[in-house]
Amino acid sequence: MDVKLVNPFIDAFTTVLPQMGFPTPERTGMGVQDKHINSRGVAVLVGFTKEIRGNVVYNMDEETAKFIASTMMMGMPVADFDEMAQSAISEMSNMLTATAATNLASLGREVDISTPSLTVGAGAGIRISGGQFLTVTMDMGGHIVEIDIAVE
Amino acid sequence: MEKVRVMVVDDSKISRMMISSMLAKTNFEVCAMAENAAAAIDLYAKTRPDVVTMDMNLPDADGVECSRRIHAIDSNCRIVMISAMKDAKLIMHGRLAGISSFLQKPISTNELLDTLMILCQDKVGINTVYRDSYVTTYAKAFADGLSQIGGLESEIEIQEEDVGALNLDGVAVIIGIVGEPRGRVAFYMDTETMLKFASRILQEDTVSEFEAQAAVEETGNIIAGHGISRINDVIKDREMRLTPPGIISGVNIKLSNPDLIAFNIKAKTELGNIFMNVGFARSV
Repeated sequence: MDVKLVNPFIDAFTTVLPQMGFPTPERTGMGVQDKHINSRGVAVLVGFTKEIRGNVVYNMDEETAKFIASTMMMGMPVADFDEMAQSAISEMSNMLTATAATNLASLGREVDISTPSLTVGAGAGIRISGGQFLTVTMDMGGHIVEIDIAVE
Repeated sequence: MEKVRVMVVDDSKISRMMISSMLAKTNFEVCAMAENAAAAIDLYAKTRPDVVTMDMNLPDADGVECSRRIHAIDSNCRIVMISAMKDAKLIMHGRLAGISSFLQKPISTNELLDTLMILCQDKVGINTVYRDSYVTTYAKAFADGLSQIGGLESEIEIQEEDVGALNLDGVAVIIGIVGEPRGRVAFYMDTETMLKFASRILQEDTVSEFEAQAAVEETGNIIAGHGISRINDVIKDREMRLTPPGIISGVNIKLSNPDLIAFNIKAKTELGNIFMNVGFARSV
Protein backbone atom coordinates (compact mmCIF):
# COMPACT_ATOMS: atom_id res chain seq x y z
CA MET A 1 0.00 0.00 0.00
CA ASP A 2 1.33 3.39 -1.07
CA VAL A 3 1.90 5.58 2.00
CA LYS A 4 1.84 8.70 -0.19
CA LEU A 5 -1.88 8.18 -0.65
CA VAL A 6 -2.42 8.44 3.09
CA ASN A 7 -1.08 11.96 3.51
CA PRO A 8 -4.15 13.55 1.86
CA PHE A 9 -6.30 12.05 4.65
CA ILE A 10 -3.98 13.25 7.43
CA ASP A 11 -3.69 16.70 5.84
CA ALA A 12 -7.50 16.92 5.63
CA PHE A 13 -7.75 16.15 9.33
CA THR A 14 -5.12 18.70 10.40
CA THR A 15 -6.45 21.51 8.19
CA VAL A 16 -10.23 21.12 8.45
CA LEU A 17 -10.68 20.62 12.18
CA PRO A 18 -8.85 23.75 13.43
CA GLN A 19 -11.03 25.80 11.03
CA MET A 20 -14.03 24.44 12.91
CA GLY A 21 -12.70 25.52 16.28
CA PHE A 22 -10.97 22.31 17.37
CA PRO A 23 -7.55 22.21 19.06
CA THR A 24 -4.79 21.59 16.48
CA PRO A 25 -4.56 17.83 16.03
CA GLU A 26 -1.19 16.20 16.49
CA ARG A 27 -0.16 12.91 15.00
CA THR A 28 0.94 10.66 17.83
CA GLY A 29 1.22 7.33 16.08
CA MET A 30 1.24 5.59 12.75
CA GLY A 31 1.52 1.92 11.88
CA VAL A 32 0.60 -0.80 9.43
CA GLN A 33 -1.99 -3.38 10.41
CA ASP A 34 -3.40 -6.43 8.72
CA LYS A 35 -6.25 -7.59 10.95
CA HIS A 36 -9.52 -5.95 11.74
CA ILE A 37 -10.06 -2.64 13.49
CA ASN A 38 -11.56 -2.74 16.97
CA SER A 39 -14.12 -0.01 17.31
CA ARG A 40 -13.44 2.35 20.19
CA GLY A 41 -17.18 2.92 20.47
CA VAL A 42 -18.03 5.11 17.50
CA ALA A 43 -16.60 4.27 14.09
CA VAL A 44 -17.49 5.89 10.80
CA LEU A 45 -16.79 4.11 7.53
CA VAL A 46 -16.53 6.05 4.27
CA GLY A 47 -15.79 4.32 0.97
CA PHE A 48 -14.18 5.83 -2.10
CA THR A 49 -13.69 4.74 -5.69
CA LYS A 50 -12.66 5.93 -9.17
CA GLU A 51 -8.93 6.18 -9.80
CA ILE A 52 -8.16 4.56 -6.47
CA ARG A 53 -10.53 2.42 -4.42
CA GLY A 54 -10.64 1.93 -0.70
CA ASN A 55 -12.15 2.76 2.66
CA VAL A 56 -11.39 5.09 5.51
CA VAL A 57 -12.59 4.68 9.10
CA TYR A 58 -12.68 7.41 11.75
CA ASN A 59 -12.59 5.56 15.06
CA MET A 60 -13.12 7.21 18.45
CA ASP A 61 -14.69 6.60 21.83
CA GLU A 62 -18.11 7.98 22.69
CA GLU A 63 -16.71 10.77 24.88
CA THR A 64 -14.61 12.05 21.99
CA ALA A 65 -17.58 11.73 19.64
CA LYS A 66 -19.66 13.85 22.03
CA PHE A 67 -16.84 16.40 22.35
CA ILE A 68 -16.63 16.65 18.55
CA ALA A 69 -20.41 16.92 18.17
CA SER A 70 -20.58 19.60 20.86
CA THR A 71 -17.76 21.64 19.28
CA MET A 72 -19.45 21.37 15.88
CA MET A 73 -22.71 22.59 17.40
CA MET A 74 -21.06 25.76 18.73
CA GLY A 75 -20.40 24.36 22.19
CA MET A 76 -23.92 23.13 22.82
CA PRO A 77 -23.71 20.53 25.60
CA VAL A 78 -24.11 16.95 24.32
CA ALA A 79 -25.12 14.61 27.14
CA ASP A 80 -26.16 11.62 25.03
CA PHE A 81 -24.79 10.46 21.75
CA ASP A 82 -28.19 10.98 20.16
CA GLU A 83 -29.31 11.36 16.57
CA MET A 84 -28.26 15.01 16.41
CA ALA A 85 -24.76 14.16 17.69
CA GLN A 86 -24.55 11.20 15.31
CA SER A 87 -25.50 13.47 12.46
CA ALA A 88 -22.68 15.86 13.44
CA ILE A 89 -20.12 13.03 13.45
CA SER A 90 -21.39 11.83 10.06
CA GLU A 91 -21.07 15.33 8.69
CA MET A 92 -17.54 15.72 10.04
CA SER A 93 -16.52 12.40 8.44
CA ASN A 94 -18.07 13.53 5.18
CA MET A 95 -16.20 16.85 5.27
CA LEU A 96 -12.87 15.24 6.15
CA THR A 97 -13.16 12.64 3.40
CA ALA A 98 -14.36 15.19 0.83
CA THR A 99 -11.32 17.34 1.66
CA ALA A 100 -9.07 14.26 1.39
CA ALA A 101 -10.66 13.62 -2.03
CA THR A 102 -9.78 17.18 -3.10
CA ASN A 103 -6.21 16.64 -1.84
CA LEU A 104 -6.00 13.37 -3.78
CA ALA A 105 -7.25 15.11 -6.92
CA SER A 106 -4.37 17.59 -6.64
CA LEU A 107 -2.05 14.55 -6.75
CA GLY A 108 -3.78 13.52 -9.97
CA ARG A 109 -5.89 10.80 -8.31
CA GLU A 110 -9.58 11.54 -8.56
CA VAL A 111 -11.98 9.76 -6.21
CA ASP A 112 -15.71 9.87 -5.48
CA ILE A 113 -16.80 9.23 -1.91
CA SER A 114 -19.81 7.38 -0.50
CA THR A 115 -22.05 8.56 2.33
CA PRO A 116 -20.67 7.84 5.82
CA SER A 117 -21.86 4.73 7.71
CA LEU A 118 -21.87 5.15 11.47
CA THR A 119 -21.33 2.20 13.81
CA VAL A 120 -22.12 2.65 17.48
CA GLY A 121 -21.11 0.08 20.09
CA ALA A 122 -17.76 -0.84 21.59
CA GLY A 123 -16.50 -4.23 20.55
CA ALA A 124 -17.45 -4.03 16.90
CA GLY A 125 -14.82 -5.46 14.62
CA ILE A 126 -14.36 -3.69 11.29
CA ARG A 127 -12.48 -5.11 8.34
CA ILE A 128 -11.66 -2.73 5.50
CA SER A 129 -9.06 -4.67 3.60
CA GLY A 130 -8.07 -8.20 2.75
CA GLY A 131 -4.47 -7.10 3.15
CA GLN A 132 -2.74 -4.33 5.02
CA PHE A 133 -4.07 -1.00 6.06
CA LEU A 134 -2.59 2.02 7.77
CA THR A 135 -3.58 3.37 11.15
CA VAL A 136 -2.82 6.95 12.16
CA THR A 137 -3.53 8.19 15.67
CA MET A 138 -4.45 11.84 16.06
CA ASP A 139 -4.66 13.65 19.39
CA MET A 140 -6.87 16.74 19.71
CA GLY A 141 -6.33 18.19 23.15
CA GLY A 142 -6.46 14.76 24.78
CA HIS A 143 -9.20 13.40 22.52
CA ILE A 144 -7.97 10.55 20.36
CA VAL A 145 -9.26 9.85 16.85
CA GLU A 146 -7.80 6.90 15.00
CA ILE A 147 -7.87 7.08 11.20
CA ASP A 148 -7.64 3.76 9.37
CA ILE A 149 -7.03 3.85 5.64
CA ALA A 150 -7.09 0.97 3.19
CA VAL A 151 -6.39 1.40 -0.50
CA GLU A 152 -6.84 -1.50 -2.91
CA MET B 1 -49.82 13.76 -5.58
CA GLU B 2 -49.66 15.75 -8.77
CA LYS B 3 -50.12 13.67 -11.93
CA VAL B 4 -47.18 13.38 -14.29
CA ARG B 5 -48.26 14.03 -17.89
CA VAL B 6 -47.02 11.81 -20.68
CA MET B 7 -47.18 12.18 -24.45
CA VAL B 8 -47.02 8.91 -26.40
CA VAL B 9 -45.58 9.07 -29.92
CA ASP B 10 -45.95 5.88 -31.95
CA ASP B 11 -47.25 5.15 -35.44
CA SER B 12 -48.88 1.91 -34.31
CA LYS B 13 -52.26 2.17 -32.66
CA ILE B 14 -51.62 -1.08 -30.78
CA SER B 15 -48.35 0.24 -29.34
CA ARG B 16 -50.05 3.47 -28.23
CA MET B 17 -52.80 1.47 -26.58
CA MET B 18 -50.31 -0.81 -24.85
CA ILE B 19 -48.34 2.08 -23.38
CA SER B 20 -51.56 3.81 -22.26
CA SER B 21 -52.77 0.68 -20.53
CA MET B 22 -49.42 0.24 -18.74
CA LEU B 23 -49.79 3.76 -17.37
CA ALA B 24 -53.43 3.34 -16.34
CA LYS B 25 -53.90 3.32 -12.55
CA THR B 26 -50.49 4.90 -12.01
CA ASN B 27 -49.45 8.41 -11.22
CA PHE B 28 -48.79 8.99 -14.91
CA GLU B 29 -51.51 10.18 -17.25
CA VAL B 30 -51.42 10.21 -21.02
CA CYS B 31 -52.15 13.81 -22.02
CA ALA B 32 -51.48 13.43 -25.74
CA MET B 33 -50.92 10.77 -28.38
CA ALA B 34 -49.34 11.33 -31.78
CA GLU B 35 -48.96 8.96 -34.72
CA ASN B 36 -46.40 10.99 -36.66
CA ALA B 37 -43.65 13.54 -36.10
CA ALA B 38 -45.63 16.56 -37.29
CA ALA B 39 -48.47 15.82 -34.85
CA ALA B 40 -45.98 15.13 -32.06
CA ILE B 41 -44.24 18.49 -32.45
CA ASP B 42 -47.56 20.33 -32.67
CA LEU B 43 -49.01 18.52 -29.63
CA TYR B 44 -45.82 18.99 -27.60
CA ALA B 45 -46.03 22.74 -28.05
CA LYS B 46 -49.74 22.76 -27.15
CA THR B 47 -49.79 20.37 -24.19
CA ARG B 48 -46.23 20.67 -22.76
CA PRO B 49 -46.09 17.14 -21.33
CA ASP B 50 -43.64 16.29 -18.51
CA VAL B 51 -42.21 13.38 -20.47
CA VAL B 52 -42.48 11.85 -23.97
CA THR B 53 -42.25 8.22 -25.09
CA MET B 54 -40.90 8.15 -28.64
CA ASP B 55 -41.04 5.40 -31.23
CA MET B 56 -38.20 5.19 -33.78
CA ASN B 57 -40.30 4.51 -36.88
CA LEU B 58 -42.64 7.34 -37.79
CA PRO B 59 -44.09 7.87 -41.25
CA ASP B 60 -42.81 11.41 -41.79
CA ALA B 61 -39.47 11.50 -39.89
CA ASP B 62 -37.64 9.12 -37.58
CA GLY B 63 -37.88 9.29 -33.78
CA VAL B 64 -34.44 10.85 -33.44
CA GLU B 65 -35.33 13.69 -35.82
CA CYS B 66 -38.68 14.19 -34.10
CA SER B 67 -36.89 14.36 -30.73
CA ARG B 68 -34.43 16.90 -32.10
CA ARG B 69 -37.31 19.16 -33.14
CA ILE B 70 -39.03 18.80 -29.77
CA HIS B 71 -35.74 19.58 -28.09
CA ALA B 72 -35.52 22.75 -30.17
CA ILE B 73 -38.89 23.86 -28.71
CA ASP B 74 -37.99 22.90 -25.14
CA SER B 75 -34.38 22.16 -24.19
CA ASN B 76 -35.59 20.70 -20.87
CA CYS B 77 -37.82 18.08 -22.50
CA ARG B 78 -37.56 14.52 -21.24
CA ILE B 79 -37.79 11.88 -23.94
CA VAL B 80 -37.63 8.10 -23.65
CA MET B 81 -37.03 6.26 -26.90
CA ILE B 82 -38.89 2.96 -27.18
CA SER B 83 -37.69 1.13 -30.27
CA ALA B 84 -37.36 -2.36 -31.70
CA MET B 85 -33.65 -1.80 -32.30
CA LYS B 86 -31.25 -0.42 -29.74
CA ASP B 87 -27.58 -0.12 -30.57
CA ALA B 88 -24.65 2.16 -29.79
CA LYS B 89 -25.16 4.25 -32.91
CA LEU B 90 -28.81 4.90 -32.13
CA ILE B 91 -27.96 5.79 -28.54
CA MET B 92 -25.25 8.19 -29.66
CA HIS B 93 -27.46 9.97 -32.22
CA GLY B 94 -30.37 9.88 -29.79
CA ARG B 95 -28.38 11.51 -26.99
CA LEU B 96 -27.31 14.31 -29.31
CA ALA B 97 -30.99 14.82 -30.18
CA GLY B 98 -31.88 15.18 -26.50
CA ILE B 99 -33.19 11.68 -25.69
CA SER B 100 -32.57 10.75 -22.05
CA SER B 101 -33.29 7.01 -21.96
CA PHE B 102 -33.60 4.13 -24.38
CA LEU B 103 -35.83 1.07 -24.04
CA GLN B 104 -36.12 -1.85 -26.38
CA LYS B 105 -39.44 -3.40 -27.41
CA PRO B 106 -41.08 -5.39 -25.98
CA ILE B 107 -41.03 -3.37 -22.78
CA SER B 108 -42.41 -4.49 -19.44
CA THR B 109 -44.66 -2.30 -17.35
CA ASN B 110 -42.00 -2.18 -14.61
CA GLU B 111 -39.31 -1.13 -16.98
CA LEU B 112 -41.45 1.67 -18.38
CA LEU B 113 -42.59 2.91 -14.97
CA ASP B 114 -39.07 2.77 -13.50
CA THR B 115 -37.68 4.74 -16.39
CA LEU B 116 -40.41 7.39 -16.34
CA MET B 117 -40.23 7.67 -12.58
CA ILE B 118 -36.47 8.22 -12.50
CA LEU B 119 -36.67 10.74 -15.34
CA CYS B 120 -39.45 12.63 -13.59
CA GLN B 121 -38.16 12.38 -10.05
CA ASP B 122 -38.56 16.10 -9.48
CA LYS B 123 -42.31 15.68 -10.08
CA VAL B 124 -42.84 12.31 -8.41
CA GLY B 125 -40.92 13.07 -5.20
CA ILE B 126 -37.58 11.67 -4.25
CA ASN B 127 -38.82 9.20 -1.61
CA THR B 128 -41.20 7.61 -4.10
CA VAL B 129 -38.44 7.32 -6.67
CA TYR B 130 -36.07 5.73 -4.17
CA ARG B 131 -38.71 3.25 -2.99
CA ASP B 132 -40.45 2.39 -6.24
CA SER B 133 -37.43 2.31 -8.52
CA TYR B 134 -34.13 1.94 -6.76
CA VAL B 135 -35.24 -0.10 -3.77
CA THR B 136 -37.56 -2.47 -5.63
CA THR B 137 -34.78 -2.99 -8.17
CA TYR B 138 -32.43 -3.86 -5.32
CA ALA B 139 -35.03 -6.18 -3.82
CA LYS B 140 -35.19 -8.13 -7.10
CA ALA B 141 -31.40 -8.34 -7.31
CA PHE B 142 -31.39 -9.47 -3.67
CA ALA B 143 -33.87 -12.32 -4.24
CA ASP B 144 -32.14 -13.38 -7.48
CA GLY B 145 -28.71 -13.28 -5.82
CA LEU B 146 -29.79 -15.42 -2.86
CA SER B 147 -31.32 -17.89 -5.26
CA GLN B 148 -28.36 -18.04 -7.64
CA ILE B 149 -25.56 -17.99 -5.07
CA GLY B 150 -27.12 -19.95 -2.23
CA GLY B 151 -29.97 -21.77 -3.95
CA LEU B 152 -32.21 -20.03 -1.42
CA GLU B 153 -35.85 -19.27 -2.01
CA SER B 154 -36.86 -16.18 -0.13
CA GLU B 155 -39.93 -14.23 0.77
CA ILE B 156 -39.06 -10.58 0.25
CA GLU B 157 -40.59 -7.78 2.24
CA ILE B 158 -39.70 -4.13 1.75
CA GLN B 159 -40.10 -2.43 5.08
CA GLU B 160 -41.20 1.16 5.04
CA GLU B 161 -38.66 3.90 5.14
CA ASP B 162 -36.70 3.25 8.28
CA VAL B 163 -35.05 6.16 10.01
CA GLY B 164 -33.97 4.33 13.14
CA ALA B 165 -30.64 2.60 13.68
CA LEU B 166 -30.23 -1.02 12.57
CA ASN B 167 -29.40 -3.44 15.35
CA LEU B 168 -26.63 -5.80 14.46
CA ASP B 169 -25.85 -9.10 16.20
CA GLY B 170 -23.73 -10.74 13.59
CA VAL B 171 -22.17 -9.41 10.45
CA ALA B 172 -22.83 -6.53 8.07
CA VAL B 173 -21.19 -5.83 4.75
CA ILE B 174 -21.23 -2.11 4.01
CA ILE B 175 -20.78 -1.01 0.42
CA GLY B 176 -20.80 2.66 -0.49
CA ILE B 177 -22.60 4.04 -3.53
CA VAL B 178 -21.05 6.94 -5.39
CA GLY B 179 -22.47 8.94 -8.26
CA GLU B 180 -25.90 10.47 -8.13
CA PRO B 181 -27.46 9.79 -5.68
CA ARG B 182 -24.80 8.85 -3.15
CA GLY B 183 -25.60 6.26 -0.54
CA ARG B 184 -24.71 2.89 0.82
CA VAL B 185 -25.93 -0.68 0.95
CA ALA B 186 -25.73 -2.74 4.15
CA PHE B 187 -26.13 -6.51 3.71
CA TYR B 188 -26.50 -8.11 7.13
CA MET B 189 -27.60 -11.16 9.12
CA ASP B 190 -27.10 -12.68 12.56
CA THR B 191 -24.17 -14.99 13.33
CA GLU B 192 -26.20 -18.20 13.27
CA THR B 193 -27.68 -17.40 9.86
CA MET B 194 -24.25 -16.35 8.62
CA LEU B 195 -22.70 -19.70 9.56
CA LYS B 196 -25.55 -21.67 7.95
CA PHE B 197 -25.47 -19.47 4.88
CA ALA B 198 -21.69 -19.84 4.45
CA SER B 199 -21.84 -23.58 5.02
CA ARG B 200 -24.48 -23.77 2.29
CA ILE B 201 -22.62 -21.78 -0.32
CA LEU B 202 -19.17 -23.21 0.47
CA GLN B 203 -20.70 -26.71 0.66
CA GLU B 204 -18.80 -27.45 3.88
CA ASP B 205 -20.31 -28.82 7.07
CA THR B 206 -18.33 -26.51 9.29
CA VAL B 207 -16.88 -23.15 8.40
CA SER B 208 -14.83 -20.77 10.51
CA GLU B 209 -16.25 -17.39 11.39
CA PHE B 210 -13.61 -15.77 9.18
CA GLU B 211 -14.58 -17.89 6.16
CA ALA B 212 -18.23 -17.23 6.84
CA GLN B 213 -17.66 -13.48 6.90
CA ALA B 214 -15.75 -13.71 3.64
CA ALA B 215 -18.62 -15.64 2.06
CA VAL B 216 -21.13 -13.05 3.22
CA GLU B 217 -18.85 -10.27 2.00
CA GLU B 218 -18.60 -11.79 -1.47
CA THR B 219 -22.36 -12.40 -1.66
CA GLY B 220 -23.15 -8.86 -0.53
CA ASN B 221 -20.72 -7.47 -3.05
CA ILE B 222 -22.23 -9.46 -5.93
CA ILE B 223 -25.82 -8.55 -5.03
CA ALA B 224 -24.97 -4.87 -4.59
CA GLY B 225 -23.19 -4.92 -7.95
CA HIS B 226 -26.18 -6.48 -9.70
CA GLY B 227 -28.57 -4.03 -8.10
CA ILE B 228 -26.55 -1.04 -9.22
CA SER B 229 -26.09 -2.44 -12.75
CA ARG B 230 -29.85 -2.79 -13.11
CA ILE B 231 -30.36 0.81 -12.00
CA ASN B 232 -27.61 1.97 -14.37
CA ASP B 233 -29.33 0.08 -17.19
CA VAL B 234 -32.44 2.19 -16.69
CA ILE B 235 -30.78 5.51 -16.19
CA LYS B 236 -27.75 5.88 -18.35
CA ASP B 237 -26.59 9.41 -17.76
CA ARG B 238 -25.63 9.28 -14.10
CA GLU B 239 -23.63 6.16 -13.67
CA MET B 240 -23.60 4.93 -10.07
CA ARG B 241 -20.64 2.91 -8.82
CA LEU B 242 -19.73 0.99 -5.67
CA THR B 243 -16.86 1.38 -3.23
CA PRO B 244 -15.03 -1.69 -1.84
CA PRO B 245 -16.89 -3.50 0.96
CA GLY B 246 -16.22 -2.95 4.65
CA ILE B 247 -17.25 -5.68 7.09
CA ILE B 248 -18.60 -4.94 10.53
CA SER B 249 -19.14 -7.70 13.06
CA GLY B 250 -20.11 -7.85 16.70
CA VAL B 251 -22.98 -8.07 19.10
CA ASN B 252 -25.33 -5.29 20.08
CA ILE B 253 -23.89 -2.91 17.50
CA LYS B 254 -25.97 -0.12 16.05
CA LEU B 255 -25.63 0.89 12.46
CA SER B 256 -26.89 4.42 12.35
CA ASN B 257 -27.35 6.65 9.36
CA PRO B 258 -29.11 9.77 10.47
CA ASP B 259 -28.64 11.51 7.14
CA LEU B 260 -29.92 8.79 4.84
CA ILE B 261 -33.33 7.99 3.44
CA ALA B 262 -33.06 4.27 4.06
CA PHE B 263 -35.24 1.26 3.25
CA ASN B 264 -34.93 -2.16 4.78
CA ILE B 265 -35.44 -5.23 2.62
CA LYS B 266 -36.00 -8.45 4.55
CA ALA B 267 -35.56 -11.86 2.94
CA LYS B 268 -37.16 -14.66 4.93
CA THR B 269 -35.26 -17.83 4.09
CA GLU B 270 -35.09 -21.36 5.46
CA LEU B 271 -31.72 -20.44 7.05
CA GLY B 272 -33.04 -17.34 8.81
CA ASN B 273 -33.68 -13.73 7.95
CA ILE B 274 -31.22 -11.95 5.70
CA PHE B 275 -31.41 -8.18 5.32
CA MET B 276 -30.37 -5.58 2.87
CA ASN B 277 -30.67 -1.93 3.84
CA VAL B 278 -30.39 0.56 1.01
CA GLY B 279 -29.95 4.21 1.88
CA PHE B 280 -29.48 7.37 -0.12
CA ALA B 281 -28.30 10.80 0.94
CA ARG B 282 -31.06 13.24 1.84
CA SER B 283 -29.18 16.04 0.19
CA VAL B 284 -27.35 15.48 -3.05
